[in-house]
Amino acid sequence: MKFFPFLFAALTLVSTVSAQRLVIKGSDTLGAKLVPTMAEEYKVKNPGVSFEIAAEGSTTGISAMIDGTAQIGMSSRRAKTTEVSAAQAKGVTMKPIIVCYDGMAVCLNANNPVKGLTRRQVEQIFTGDITDWSAVGGKAGKISIYTRNTSSGTYSDWKDLAMKKRDYAGSSQKMAGNEQIAAEVAKNANGIGYLGLAYINAEGIKIVPIDGVTANKETILSKKYPYARPTFFYTNGEPTGEAAKFIDFALGAEGQKIVEKVGFITLK
Amino acid sequence: MNKRTILKRFAVALGFAISASAIFAQDSGPLIDLLVRKGIVTDQEAEELRVDLLKDFTANSSAGKLNLSSSLSEFKLSGDLRMRYEANSQTPELATGGAPVSNETSRQRLRFRFNGDFLLQKGWSAGFALETTQASDSGNQTFTGGADDYGIFLTRAYIGWQPNLNWSFAIGKQKNPFLTTDLRWDSDINPQGLFQGYKMMLGVKDTLEFRAMQHFMFENNEQLIGPAGRDAWMFEQQAVYTRWFAPENLSNVIFAVGYNAYSQSTMTGLLNSAAFAGSTRAQNYGTLAGEVNLAKINGEGTSLKFYWDGSYNFTGDTRAYRVYNLNRAAFDAGEAAWLVGVGYGYGTGKVQGDYSARLDYREVGVSAIDPNTNDSDWGFGKTNQKGLKLALAYNVNDFTNFNVTYFDTKIIDEKMTFALGNLNRSHELLVDLVLKF
Repeated sequence: MKFFPFLFAALTLVSTVSAQRLVIKGSDTLGAKLVPTMAEEYKVKNPGVSFEIAAEGSTTGISAMIDGTAQIGMSSRRAKTTEVSAAQAKGVTMKPIIVCYDGMAVCLNANNPVKGLTRRQVEQIFTGDITDWSAVGGKAGKISIYTRNTSSGTYSDWKDLAMKKRDYAGSSQKMAGNEQIAAEVAKNANGIGYLGLAYINAEGIKIVPIDGVTANKETILSKKYPYARPTFFYTNGEPTGEAAKFIDFALGAEGQKIVEKVGFITLK
Repeated sequence: MNKRTILKRFAVALGFAISASAIFAQDSGPLIDLLVRKGIVTDQEAEELRVDLLKDFTANSSAGKLNLSSSLSEFKLSGDLRMRYEANSQTPELATGGAPVSNETSRQRLRFRFNGDFLLQKGWSAGFALETTQASDSGNQTFTGGADDYGIFLTRAYIGWQPNLNWSFAIGKQKNPFLTTDLRWDSDINPQGLFQGYKMMLGVKDTLEFRAMQHFMFENNEQLIGPAGRDAWMFEQQAVYTRWFAPENLSNVIFAVGYNAYSQSTMTGLLNSAAFAGSTRAQNYGTLAGEVNLAKINGEGTSLKFYWDGSYNFTGDTRAYRVYNLNRAAFDAGEAAWLVGVGYGYGTGKVQGDYSARLDYREVGVSAIDPNTNDSDWGFGKTNQKGLKLALAYNVNDFTNFNVTYFDTKIIDEKMTFALGNLNRSHELLVDLVLKF
């Protein structure tokens, strides 16, 4: 009857491994670099833990958390009313946890003489109310707008933060990511786009202050800079077990050091 | 009670105070932002508060369960339910000149309408309407036997686009865009086709609008040769001039001149009252409509209205004698139709106690108007008639109207037995209770 001790040992092992496996799904803003880096650091200190990280968008992350297919849902936006409603219907208590802040800076071609913009001008440019740089103190030339693509949470966040929820100008060009926006604006003397703070040092572009305020850690944390957003982990109620330990790590000194290194704004 | 519960109650209370509506949870965003900026709550507490408020919102309001497109700037649902008592009499003309026999009818009817109108961004709009009964000139469903159930039909479905303050376009089945009266257009009819409008502001007090519509009237099988194989289209154009004047620019005078014609086709099987089945030939109508609205004529809220409408078929002779096959020696071609009316009212018809009264007189020659679009609630949609129409309306409350309408018509050209113009005498009493929502 040696079979039973083996079976018991095997089941114990499976359940232990299962308990130490963290499934994190959601935002590509968080899931592309920040959370995988945190996971690697965490694994060094907690060798028994494995991660499954899928960065397929904030919507996927919140849905996965509600469905119970992920312990942590990553999101670069707040949960929508319909998502809160869906969670309630399934008996899930949605808990948002701010991981870090993500500022969005307005970038122009390095040779553009415009030295700053107002929030109103940014809204008018991205909605197509203003189509020529001469209307905002620049050299005459048709403004070329570069945005993230429609599947990006940043695309809709920018509408909320900068455009009073209005639609983008029909002429705006959709780019796959921050690098592409920076590259296009660097090539086009009449270009304008928005970038995460991690990408503002790209060559050929410059960042302009908004209403006289430049995007940096101090202005974002003090809420003076208008285009900043918190990023979130969503859990079902108070996190427990390994998920709680990982979140504590992410919000603690070590995790926040990674936040800074990757180019986001820390909690403090 | 923990801090978050206290804060939540505070935000909810303020939300109620600010908005006094079920959408307070969504409106509390700026309030929470303010609390964060003032350092009263941390970002983390604020986010938890937002989720808690959303939970309340989704649990306690139906609006919280709606998932509307972000491109939608306004979504309006509206409608009305009308209960009608109707008593009428129609006396057909007899060719022999013998004593006419009156056909008396009384019936109970209902009309249900449900509208959805969507305003989208960049000047786009769309809408639909559902209504009882299939005939385009009436939404009335007569109560029939055995507690029958009744059908609902799609009476409007359109896409609109207003790129700027001057231009407007609409395609689909839509509200009638022309300034007119029930002399030529039944208000129940929603034409289908393409509308284009251009509006010019001539100073502060004058506007000039050009309106044009290509109205699809009948689908024919193109495999057939001649007019029976061509689709029927109606083309209407109108120029509308409006001048506003004192007191407080509430009064105005409006002149509208237009032209209406058809492509040459054949129409069969239309469902409207007194519809003409046959050729669209020789319908070239010049139109002239307008009104003078005088505000505060007898104190605050009162108004006096004079209104008129006219139609002249430039090819009425051909229409009467070749299309309708009337006897030239016996009957007039009846190319002209006209209406003059006067109205007096208090309020706008939207508030309890508002009332209005209108009285008009009209004469309608047999070939003067399109029998497929004129009002079925005057002379049962027939032509070759003259007579009065009286309409009284009273607001029982802000959303319920009590209306009484009466018309009386007489034949113009006697002994005409042609189906479109064969009513010797008709009258009808309509008593309506209308609830709008």
